[in-house]
Amino acid sequence: MIKSRLFTKTILTIIVLFAVISVTMALSSGWNLYNDLIQEYTSKGTAIARSVAGSSVEILLNRDASMIQATIDQFAEIAGVSYVYVVDAQREIVSHTFVPTIPDEILRIADPGRESAIKDVVIGGRDYIDISSPIVAGAVGHVHVGMDKSMIRMQIGRAIARQLGAILAILLVSVAVAYILVNKISQPLNKLTEYGRKLAARDFSATVEIKYEDEIGLLARTMQSMAKELQKAFEGYEEAIKEATAELQETLAYLTNIIDNMADGLLATDTSGKITRVNPTLIDMLGLHGSNIIGRDCSEVLDTELAGLEKKSRRFPERTLTLDIDLTRGRTGKAVATSLHTQPTPETPEGTSMGSIILVRDITAEKETDRMKTDFISTVSHELRTPMTSVLGYTAITRKKLQEILFPRIALKDGRVEKTMRQVIQNLGIVISEGERLTNLINDLLDISKMEAGQLEWKMQPLSVDDIIDIAMDATSTLFEQKGLQLKREITGTIPEIVGDRDRLVQVMINLLSNAVKFTEKGLVTCRAAADLGEVVISVTDTGIGIPRTELDNIFKKFKQVGDTLTDRPKGTGLGLPISKQIIVQHGGRIWVESEVGRGTTVSFTIPLPSTRHGEVDASQRGWDVGMPESDQRHSQTA
Amino acid sequence: MPKILIVDDEPLMRNLIEQTLGALEDCGVELLAAQDGISAVETIIREKPDIVFLDVMMPKMNGFEVCSITKKDLGLSTVHIIMLTAKGQEFDKQKAKEAGADGYITKPFKVDEIYDKALEILRLRPAV
Repeated sequence: MIKSRLFTKTILTIIVLFAVISVTMALSSGWNLYNDLIQEYTSKGTAIARSVAGSSVEILLNRDASMIQATIDQFAEIAGVSYVYVVDAQREIVSHTFVPTIPDEILRIADPGRESAIKDVVIGGRDYIDISSPIVAGAVGHVHVGMDKSMIRMQIGRAIARQLGAILAILLVSVAVAYILVNKISQPLNKLTEYGRKLAARDFSATVEIKYEDEIGLLARTMQSMAKELQKAFEGYEEAIKEATAELQETLAYLTNIIDNMADGLLATDTSGKITRVNPTLIDMLGLHGSNIIGRDCSEVLDTELAGLEKKSRRFPERTLTLDIDLTRGRTGKAVATSLHTQPTPETPEGTSMGSIILVRDITAEKETDRMKTDFISTVSHELRTPMTSVLGYTAITRKKLQEILFPRIALKDGRVEKTMRQVIQNLGIVISEGERLTNLINDLLDISKMEAGQLEWKMQPLSVDDIIDIAMDATSTLFEQKGLQLKREITGTIPEIVGDRDRLVQVMINLLSNAVKFTEKGLVTCRAAADLGEVVISVTDTGIGIPRTELDNIFKKFKQVGDTLTDRPKGTGLGLPISKQIIVQHGGRIWVESEVGRGTTVSFTIPLPSTRHGEVDASQRGWDVGMPESDQRHSQTA
Repeated sequence: MPKILIVDDEPLMRNLIEQTLGALEDCGVELLAAQDGISAVETIIREKPDIVFLDVMMPKMNGFEVCSITKKDLGLSTVHIIMLTAKGQEFDKQKAKEAGADGYITKPFKVDEIYDKALEILRLRPAV
């Protein structure tokens, strides 16, 4: 049972209250009683003194002491009277009630003269009220009556003791009553408190007894209904939590299953590069069996390249980085690293970084297919070239022999013969030019397949942009002459040296210039170059037919040429721009096209200057895909 | 009399080059032919030709080896060797250079290219 604080407080209050009241009352009534008793004693003493004085005149005049003695002895018997003595006019004690001797202090009490007098005197260490009354105006003597003050004190003490006794009795009764009353209030309150505590501890089976329909009963009833509501709410919440937990566990298990059954390896890290999650595929791919790698730093567990990729991914969260890596059992994998971040919120529009995710795919088969494809194209190209050499060679020789040896010996009198001879030469010319186009196509196919497979060797060296433009202009000058087109060269300022593959960049320039010639009937072609913001921008502008907006997206795609190939005779292999794009991207640059139908086309490309090439990331590193900033990509026509 | 050796395992290709250079025969140039690397080396040793048009991919011994034997092992520096490389890749050009070849022509070539090359080399020689 809870100790009743209410009871303790009430009892303490009552006791303090009673103590204060009783002390005040005792002091007050004691004082009143004292005054009353003093007055009573004084009156009594005065009456006695007067009475003795009245009856003593004759006796004193007759000097009959024994009579006086008899009188005062009577008065000495009265309660409160301590002594009575009579002195004559000469202040000699005629008679007294002192036993056994007259105290010395009596002799020092002066007579009041003609009037009565009341004095406080101390005799033998005790307090008295001395009341004196003259006999015949003091001419005969005086009567002194001594009233004992200690009697008064005794009476007051007794009175106070009685009073206190009564108060104590009242106190005890009050305490008992208070105890019963307080108990009546505090016990149900204590029970309610206990009940409340049980409810707080979610013991909804607890009950509380309601005896009366008073305020406490009402409170208890309210608490009970509140408990019921709470219980209902709790049960609802518990059920909801149970359901949500089960659902979450199911989702978690489902996600875990997805991650664990993925064909790709998965590795997740936190913002400090510590591994937070891996799936069995990754463990198997990297041969990490038997080592507990969760919570360990990537650099401790993974090889340098993969750990470097993870680190780079955290440094450049906006990029998706890829890396070809060696897996166990001689297999090859492609690791793709992206940053891991929370969903964007208004406060954090880019989400909060949580680390990185690396996905590793086994690309052994793809690599093998790629290699086989490249080998196939390479072999096919080679096998095609040999017969093409024969076709072109024999046709050329045949034409030469016809023109130089046979035709001059044929008489040209017959118009039909002359026409046939002209047609034969023309036809052979078509065979040769188409054969050459086929050869170019084979060469381009071989180039692009090697570029795509990353098998082409790049001879990177410092180069002069002017030289590249000059070589390409020289190589294409015949084309311009044939069509009567003007070729203009505009170099702005001094262009620093770039780093690149000379032959390949010349190939790009020739591609662009021959395209310009191909699609321009009149006007001019302008070749411009300028250094700007850490890169060299080179462009070729023509005044040709232009490219419709709908076709712009296709021009860097393989075998996509502008115009209808059924009605317009194709003028190239359809691989020139895709190859050019591959070459430019390999150099870390970008290539794009701007055109307006009927007004002309400008194809531009950039090559980064050596100091700014790729910023912090080196593209020549094996497998790194540095990509381009998004702002740049809008210019780039991706094939 | 200047001699030109044509080495190719493909009869069509040999014939084409022979026809191309046929006009030179009128000027007194002797045209020789070999169909594989070994017979090419034998002919080179025996005839010491002025020019060899040498195919790369051949059975028994490839063109690079023939070139290397001629230039390095036999020390025949006066024999002008033009490799006929079908691939036209940097790799092959580099190999041709390493083997000591004096030039290379990429297949498919233009017939005039072969003729002009032969004429150019022969004209440099004081005897022609």
